[in-house]
Amino acid sequence: MDLQQQYELEKLFKTKLHQAMRFYLETCTHCGLCVDSCHVYNSMPELRYTAVGRSEVVRKIFIKYFKMQGKIAPWLGETMEMDEFVLDKFYEAAFSCTGCRRCMVHCPFGIDTQQIMSIAKLLLVGADKEPKILSMLSDMSINKGEQVEESRAQYAEAIKNIEPEVEAIWPTPPGKKTIPLEVEHADVLYVALSGKHSIISAAAIFNAADINWTLSSFEAVNFGAFLGDPQRTKKIGNRIIAEATRLKVKTVAIVECGTAFRIMKQQFGKLPFEVVTFVELIAKYHQEGKIKLNKVMTEKVTYHDPCQIARNAGVYEAPRYILNQLSDDFVDMIPNREENWCCGGGGGLVAAGDFEFRMKSSKVKADQMKKTGATVVATACENCHSQLHDVCGYYNTNQHVEFISHLAAQGLAK
Amino acid sequence: MADYTAVKTFDYKGLPCPMPIVKMSQEISRIAVGEVGEVLSTDPGSIADFPAWAKTTGHQVLDIVQEPGLIKIYVKRVK
Ligand code: SF4
Ligand code: SF4
Repeated sequence: MDLQQQYELEKLFKTKLHQAMRFYLETCTHCGLCVDSCHVYNSMPELRYTAVGRSEVVRKIFIKYFKMQGKIAPWLGETMEMDEFVLDKFYEAAFSCTGCRRCMVHCPFGIDTQQIMSIAKLLLVGADKEPKILSMLSDMSINKGEQVEESRAQYAEAIKNIEPEVEAIWPTPPGKKTIPLEVEHADVLYVALSGKHSIISAAAIFNAADINWTLSSFEAVNFGAFLGDPQRTKKIGNRIIAEATRLKVKTVAIVECGTAFRIMKQQFGKLPFEVVTFVELIAKYHQEGKIKLNKVMTEKVTYHDPCQIARNAGVYEAPRYILNQLSDDFVDMIPNREENWCCGGGGGLVAAGDFEFRMKSSKVKADQMKKTGATVVATACENCHSQLHDVCGYYNTNQHVEFISHLAAQGLAK
Repeated sequence: MADYTAVKTFDYKGLPCPMPIVKMSQEISRIAVGEVGEVLSTDPGSIADFPAWAKTTGHQVLDIVQEPGLIKIYVKRVK
């Protein structure tokens, strides 16, 4: 690596050095309390998979380039020079971390390893060493925003084609569209994913509750956040913000996708609309008497708290409330809520990660699910759903994974 | 009449996000440069995803044909 590139990466590193980040980088006492918190380390006990172990290489670069000690006495052994070896270490650390922040809960200083890993991810982008599939997916989302008008008519046709599947669950109220598009002043803009499964159950629930809603033209997922590129993250999120602002909606409801929800809720500052995750709306509609739910579930059900909805955004009770309307046999995983084990697929690992690693690093998750005795694992995140589905198969847990919205739609009653 | 013939079908029906695009990126190499593949999808989002993917990766979407319950996307490998 030449000096120019080192300089460019140092500049990028500096963009991340806000007050909290300096605290995270300067405060670690190597007490080791975070070691057992990480599902990766618990499943594959190697020091490089601990929170403190992952952060070390970032810290050494920080000391080398941004601390006096690194400038005057780098031979003390606490520093490393930015080079290809360091970038390889960044990759290994950042893309084996799901950004679940379970370690942060156990660190006495609240050190956020996911934030430290965001430095490694940004520098990998700067060095053109990021997982190419994630930058491609991010750029695809950005391009989609730029050419959305070109596909509008065909998208409307595709949406029309799935309406019978919504009506099979719940009849559309008279005078209403089954899946409304482009409705100005709607109470809710629902931002789904590309798949029809992410639209059908939600549409049935909105229609059962007789809500004035409209479907977004975009997918909620923010690949820029998985990639760790703040500029792409912003551009992807801004597509939805522009649409919601243009349509003057009151609420943006994000499909069951943890990262999409947390990023929109927490990283775009004050917005002219409220941001909720769809499961919160289902619970609210039930509590307000707008929908009724029958106890249709006959199997024992448990719930996986998606890290980005639960621990990192505080939504714990709404999904449990819904499951308790649908079942008399709900059991929590141990541990749960803030302490729940990550599914092992976050941080872009489902799209970019190596399958064997994803499975091996989720052994602790498979054990936790099996211990519940439930045959249904409900969750509220597409990424968790995909990962847990794979984990159930890999470890033969004899469980199936279901979305809360799908279960709720099945339980809709007159 | 379309002036191309698809040499291979890529069945991406019912896959979770973002697998249709991830798979397309990996599997486009299964057809030769200049050849056309037929993608089968059930995702309404594919309508805009595939043209945006093509713009990003330098390939080409020749046509999108919709039937109830099925979307067919004709993709030409350009490089
Ligand atoms: S954020 Fe999660 S995956 Fe990353 S080090 Fe902490 S516990 Fe492990
Ligand atoms: S718990 Fe916090 S202070 Fe202790 S080693 Fe882990 S990150 Fe460092």
